[in-house]
Amino acid sequence: MSFRESEERQALRTAAAELGRRYGYEYYVQQARSGGHTTELWQEAGKLGYLGVNLPEEYGGGGAGIGELSTVLEELGAAGCPLLMMVVSPAICGTVIARFGTDEQKQRWLPGLADGSLTMAFAITEPDAGSNAHKLTTTARRDGDDWVLSGRKVFISGIDVADAVMVVGRTEDARTGKLKPALFVVPTEAPGFEWQGIDMELVSPDRQFSLFFDEVRLPADALVGSEDAGLLQLFAGLNPERIMASAMATGTARHALDKAVAYVKERSVWSTPIGAHQGLSHPLAQIKIELELARLMTQKAAFLYDSGDDTGAGEAANMAKYAAAEVSTRAVDQAVQSLGGNGLTTEYGVASMVAAARLARVAPVSREMILNFVAQNALGLPKSY
Amino acid sequence: MNIVVLVKQVPDTWSERKLSDADHTLDRASADAVLDEINERAVEEALLAKEAQGGEVTVVCMGPERANEAIRKALSMGADSAVHVSDEALHGSDAVQTARTLAAAIGTLESVDLVIAGNESTDGRAGAVPAMVAELLGWPQLTYARKLDTDGQSVSIERESDAGVATVEANLPALVSVTEKINEPRYPSFKGIMAAKKKPVSTLSVADVGLSADEVGLGSAPTQVVSSAPAPPKEAGVKVTDEGEGGVQIVEFLSGQKLV
Ligand SMILES: Cc1cc2nc3c(=O)[nH]c(=O)nc-3n(C[C@H](O)[C@H](O)[C@H](O)COP(=O)(O)OP(=O)(O)OC[C@H]3O[C@@H](n4cnc5c(N)ncnc54)[C@H](O)[C@@H]3O)c2cc1C
Repeated sequence: MSFRESEERQALRTAAAELGRRYGYEYYVQQARSGGHTTELWQEAGKLGYLGVNLPEEYGGGGAGIGELSTVLEELGAAGCPLLMMVVSPAICGTVIARFGTDEQKQRWLPGLADGSLTMAFAITEPDAGSNAHKLTTTARRDGDDWVLSGRKVFISGIDVADAVMVVGRTEDARTGKLKPALFVVPTEAPGFEWQGIDMELVSPDRQFSLFFDEVRLPADALVGSEDAGLLQLFAGLNPERIMASAMATGTARHALDKAVAYVKERSVWSTPIGAHQGLSHPLAQIKIELELARLMTQKAAFLYDSGDDTGAGEAANMAKYAAAEVSTRAVDQAVQSLGGNGLTTEYGVASMVAAARLARVAPVSREMILNFVAQNALGLPKSY
Repeated sequence: MNIVVLVKQVPDTWSERKLSDADHTLDRASADAVLDEINERAVEEALLAKEAQGGEVTVVCMGPERANEAIRKALSMGADSAVHVSDEALHGSDAVQTARTLAAAIGTLESVDLVIAGNESTDGRAGAVPAMVAELLGWPQLTYARKLDTDGQSVSIERESDAGVATVEANLPALVSVTEKINEPRYPSFKGIMAAKKKPVSTLSVADVGLSADEVGLGSAPTQVVSSAPAPPKEAGVKVTDEGEGGVQIVEFLSGQKLV
């Protein structure tokens, strides 16, 4: 293991950063406020192969890993224009299909997910099953060769830009009658599938939706992977999800910290720049430290995942996401404080990050559920629920 | 069609740039080094010509070992191979010596049809090297191109200067230098980044290109930097608050500076 990134990783980092800077936060906010999307950036990144770096080369991907994919997202975030759908489309859905899909499913989806011409959303959360995924009620039943899917999902990102959505549903075990999770790919134009936007207070061009599946008929090959190993396959996609969420959050933290530092270097209220006052410099230095620690844990998680250690990656990915969420929240908060009144203006673009910076504390898995996981798994403490 | 692009590693324009106190050469350690942006455009133009005409793009670079990073960037954009002239003896070479070295390096390659360079580097800004290289090769020079067309036999450019725009044409082989207006350089694709490491880079010494060490470098440079001083720090500008008189105040300021 090395703490120095490979030459290729560094080159990818630089290239993604340059691309991100050409779009930047102003573009991102403008798209968010006008109801637009980051389509141009998505397409350009896709064409350059940045969205599919983790997917297999034989299906049009870059043949690298989540370490590389998360590098791209971190740099876009640091430039102020993170692509939330990277967490979902190539990282979760692409990983699950590449690892467990049939040849036909890989042919059908991976080249498009890799070059960004296809986007796949991911739906697990339900009104009564957010933190508690055991309570999923979306169910698929067999009808001849087909599947018929019914249920409801909430907070699903990007369905309006997606070609399909990977749905975590449940199927009935023929023998025991017990329900077990299974993954289905549902095209957005499938009859019986509808969605509705949820008004959110995040300043983000990626929007959330409630999904309604009313007896949606799906062909047999809509099921990804085995009916009996759904849970395992689901977990295979969740490590990349957490690593990507961490990268997005550290990118956001970097963007906020950069803005704060640039400002406190210039602004003088008495005679010195305000960045000389320890009241401002120390919190910023602390954030810098916490940020580097979060990045390090994110890289460790990606390293473990890419070297095939799913279990080791699980703990690291959860810890990384915790640390990244904390630092993105704190970095934006401190940026607002550092800019004083300007911190709350539209022009300086810091206040508009507040809600989005907190997102990582809630999704894809809440801070409390990570603490539960660590308490139970790393510390062996009893469960309260 | 075989195209050579002359590339240079320069300190990033955004970082602080310094000359060393000892010999007034660039203090390379003090700044981030990048492939000169104008060279990215030169590479882009070469790649466009290659895509239209077929052939190979070779980047030629003179610079210390670290310039390897700039070469990789050009290769990751899509250039096929590179020649890197790297030799302690080159330290402090001036424009004439640089041009001689580059021309000699081009001379080691077989059947070059077109050489593309940036019109001037963002650090030295002498803007003389492309013309000197063409002169040394005995080839036509088409400088300050904002547009380039080639059919593989001849090359035609739009040359933009203070005097206006002229269309200039020459038979190949020829050298073209390009301005910022020529194109928007592509970003390296991930495949390009991965492929760059495997592309051939031949590292040559001064002797390998057929020059001797006492022809190059600070000691024998025909031009010398006698002294240098840092640019004066930027002074705070004058802020005019418009309370109805803003326009008048601006005109007064401008006429005070003899600008109007
Ligand atoms: C912007 C955004 C985008 C999203 N995108 C997607 C998407 O694309 N796909 C998708 O499937 N989902 C998505 N989600 C949903 C997200 O994953 C859930 O919101 C998250 O998992 C929390 O679930 P919940 O909202 O139901 O909260 P709840 O489960 O109701 O939890 C509420 C609070 O109670 C706490 N809590 C619950 N149980 C415990 C416990 N046992 N111990 C301690 N504390 C507990 C939680 O930590 C939380 O603070 C998105 C959410 C947001 C906000």
